[in-house]
Amino acid sequence: MAHVVQPLDQPSNYKDSQARVDRHRQEEALSRSSTLYIGNLSFYTTEEQIYELFNKCANVSEGGGIKRVIMGLDRNTKTPCGFCFVEYYTRAEALASLRYISGTKLDERIVRCDLDAGYKEGRQFGRGKSGGQVRDEHREDYDPGRGGWGAQAQKSEAERRREVEERYADTTGIVAGGGGDWRQGEVPNQSLKRGRSPEDDGERERAARSRLDVEDRM
Amino acid sequence: MSGYRGRGRRYRDDYREPVQETPEQRLRSTILKLGEVDPLQELHRVAKFIYDHPAGIPFVAECIRIGVTEQPHKIPYYAALLKILHEPPPPEIAPGFPEGVSLGRSLLEDFWKGFQGYLDQLAWREIRLCIQFFSHLTTANIVSAQSMISLLLSFTTVLDEFGVSQGRGKRAALCAVEGLLMAGQALKQHSATSVLDIINAVQTYVDTTTFLKSLAQPMVRFHALTEPIEGSIEILDCGLAAMKTLNAQDFANLSDIFPQPYLDGPEPVLPPFDLPSVLVPPEVVEMDTLGESSSEVKREEWPEYHLTLFDNDVVPDPMTPAGYALKSTLLDIIDIYDVNRKECARILLEFAKWTPAGTFRPKPNPPPGIEIPDPVPGKDWQLENTVVDNILGSMFALPDSRQRSMFYIALITELCKLSPPTVGPAVGKSIRKLYSFLGDGLDVEIGHRFADWFSVHMSNFNFQWVWKEWIPDLQLSSQNPRRGFMRKAVEFEIRLAYYDRIGRTLPEDFQNPQAQILPDKAPGPDYEYDDPVHPYHDPAQSILGLLRGRSEVADVVSALESLRNSLAESNHGAANLDSILRSIAIQSLLHTGSRSFSHFLNAVERYLPLLRNLAAGGISSSGGIPNLEARMDILTASAQFWKRNRQMVGIVFDKLMQYQIVDPTDVVSWAFGSGHGNGEGPLKVDYCQWDLLKAALDKANGRVMIAKKRVIALRKEEDENRARANADGAGNGASMEVDTDAKPDDHVESPALTTAVKAFNSLTREQKSVLSCTLDGFAACLVPLPSEPNKNDFAREVIQENVWHNRINWGTGEWGAWETWGWYRHFCGSYSAYLRTYSTTLGTVSLTRIEGSTDPAAVLVKKIWNAAIGVEET
Repeated sequence: MAHVVQPLDQPSNYKDSQARVDRHRQEEALSRSSTLYIGNLSFYTTEEQIYELFNKCANVSEGGGIKRVIMGLDRNTKTPCGFCFVEYYTRAEALASLRYISGTKLDERIVRCDLDAGYKEGRQFGRGKSGGQVRDEHREDYDPGRGGWGAQAQKSEAERRREVEERYADTTGIVAGGGGDWRQGEVPNQSLKRGRSPEDDGERERAARSRLDVEDRM
Repeated sequence: MSGYRGRGRRYRDDYREPVQETPEQRLRSTILKLGEVDPLQELHRVAKFIYDHPAGIPFVAECIRIGVTEQPHKIPYYAALLKILHEPPPPEIAPGFPEGVSLGRSLLEDFWKGFQGYLDQLAWREIRLCIQFFSHLTTANIVSAQSMISLLLSFTTVLDEFGVSQGRGKRAALCAVEGLLMAGQALKQHSATSVLDIINAVQTYVDTTTFLKSLAQPMVRFHALTEPIEGSIEILDCGLAAMKTLNAQDFANLSDIFPQPYLDGPEPVLPPFDLPSVLVPPEVVEMDTLGESSSEVKREEWPEYHLTLFDNDVVPDPMTPAGYALKSTLLDIIDIYDVNRKECARILLEFAKWTPAGTFRPKPNPPPGIEIPDPVPGKDWQLENTVVDNILGSMFALPDSRQRSMFYIALITELCKLSPPTVGPAVGKSIRKLYSFLGDGLDVEIGHRFADWFSVHMSNFNFQWVWKEWIPDLQLSSQNPRRGFMRKAVEFEIRLAYYDRIGRTLPEDFQNPQAQILPDKAPGPDYEYDDPVHPYHDPAQSILGLLRGRSEVADVVSALESLRNSLAESNHGAANLDSILRSIAIQSLLHTGSRSFSHFLNAVERYLPLLRNLAAGGISSSGGIPNLEARMDILTASAQFWKRNRQMVGIVFDKLMQYQIVDPTDVVSWAFGSGHGNGEGPLKVDYCQWDLLKAALDKANGRVMIAKKRVIALRKEEDENRARANADGAGNGASMEVDTDAKPDDHVESPALTTAVKAFNSLTREQKSVLSCTLDGFAACLVPLPSEPNKNDFAREVIQENVWHNRINWGTGEWGAWETWGWYRHFCGSYSAYLRTYSTTLGTVSLTRIEGSTDPAAVLVKKIWNAAIGVEET
């Protein structure tokens, strides 16, 4: 236990170098976060595979569950580049994943989880020079799950790869919220003839949700 | 990660700033690391270290307390350490130590304060481990036998409390049992009658809980739910049996069971310590004023059964004293170290050294110079198997495992990584044994967890399993639990990997579509209107086009409306036009979001108003009235679209509930209605439906939990504000008048609180409705009305003893009905805390119809229900 061994659910020393808030604020965000950064994924691992594994640490009856999964994409090619964010509704679930999933295999690779201060727009894209993750710039080994030789042109492989490469071609950079807390009178029966634009509505929804999220974490 | 020379520290989990240890930290780590190399040799060294480093009694006592409560395997050695510290120290250990002062005694006094703290918090595990420590000290004659007996009797007193909860009773009984096991000899010499009193008290308590066993046994016989079945043991039963065995032998040879290092050396010269008397405090019932569900929903406790996975020559029999003692300590280690599964695995694999020599078979090929001792007859067990046995025992406890299954799964993975050649075979044997229980009464939920564990485990070890040994079972009926398991295991494996990868691991017989194990193609979406010859192909394409083009919601709605008009005119002979339109809209929307989970979320968020409109019956002829049929259609269309991917059905339903397009009650109604085979065939619940039911129940319960927390937080905030305002008022010397004027305001709730309370009330209603709808659904499956068109006639059959014995000839109908009974039993057990809260309402609403019936199915439904709500039938 905590006195005798080091618990596995502590955040690592990683600091987001591009975050626009100071270290103290980052640490505070980390201490309340229910978002995980997942690294060392294969480029071919799908969100559903990630969902399947991480859902095993979900605790819906305590108000939890997976809120959303944000796949990390190569900035230029818009293809997965080996990381993602998993956001739960509760922090306890994120900590459970650190304890029980981090360091185990997904899609035959040992994945690494870390608490993340929370998704911010643009963070789904790789930060390496070539568009992918920085670590793949420096990698010198051959890793078939991560596009072969580091940062090099990728040979075409199986069908799996083609599917994956096309999957996110349509990305707009807008990331879904995943659904917020229950709200009274959410099921309206208004006629939509007058019609607001769905985008507007989406924005409003999102704004409302983030307000709720803030309350959530107070 | 080879070759990576990054600049960041990101990939170095283990990186920690080097820190200078303070003398106190050194003392603490010396005490906590006691015995890591050789416990016996270290005892005097650690004692000397404590004398040499005066850090204050409270500090040292706390270190020992942490050692005892977090390293249960070391408790006998901490007792030995305390004995050394208790006696006058020889001058070479503590030169100049004042005569007549006992360091150990002072430590014990301080240790006791900590114990009292655990007692006040009812931290049961810590309490029990401290009791073990006191018991060893009693044997060492450091603690007086009389005071130890009083301590244990205050725990058996708990068992006589009126209405004692199962959780409290079980834990108090275990405290008494384990205390007696370890101190039995000294206690019996002091007072044989007291020992008998303790045993009888536990026996009486166990007898009163028999009826609860009907929901907790891992092997099920529906014709005899409470009768013991071979293949499993119950923990408290084991403790009781061990205690009786030892008592019959006058607690001789305790050192065969656990180490007693404190017996070395001379008898203590100082008089023993008298433990103060205690009262086990009552359980705190949280008092808030939120109506019916006022107390925090705690999981109900049940007798804890473990499956027996190995023979008693391989692992110790837990009904024996040695077996029970080992099991208890292993279970504690597993529980305590859930924060670090890697360390937990290491400690478990080193466990043998904390047990008397010969307990476990030594590792082959010992290092040079170390001799392998002769095996002790009746022992010589295999450590890895014993460890795996206990982990799986905890993982498969019913209705819920001690901790979440993922911990146990990850722990077994770590053990396998640490020692593949010894743990691997133990895991393989467990899998085979569990598999052999399938179809022989293994509970459905355990079967489900088994498939889950199997798939995650295989995912960590290259999906290597010897499937071919199960080929003969492909001949069994397709709903036979063994075939069900294989199907599920393959499905779960595919979810974690991908179709082709898993296909490659299966022998040809399994790939044959007739085996119904591997689906004929990879899981994927199934857009019903894709086929150009489909009568609705063209209209569906037009809607799909609008959605793809991100048209405005209003445009999509008017397109659907004009489609309705044109379809009504043209003669497609459509029975239910509204349903068809909804199906087209939903399937087309899901189609636009079928590439990934995120795409699905984006599609839904973009068209939330459309979904709400559809759910409200917006495009239907009835127009705009919230509409159950519309919501059922949405669920049916979603399930239809993802019929080849059950995982996505679960995800879509979850988010439809999250976005409040459908309610959890809708999902439950759907699962009992259209959710099974398009509403055809006899009513039943299989694991697919159960997953949906569980998702809906958990969602409803989770929402109540969140709403309740919010109300409590807001109330607290208001109370604090009020208190502050009052204090301010008093502080500035406000007059009496002002005070009286301010009073009425005190009871005005803030709008936020009013809203929160309203939400809580709505959600509580929804929760009740989900539970009652589930109960109704099960009753309709299991005790069908004669008028029910899809009634399941097998439900009454499979619970009869003679029919069960003929299960070798069962077909799909029988197994389907049997599984339904299984999920009903699990529902009652797992949600019992909620069912108890609403037992009156639910019983009246859902079970009146079967009240007083002598139909065996009705009687059994009622019996299981009663056990769930804690009522013993007479």
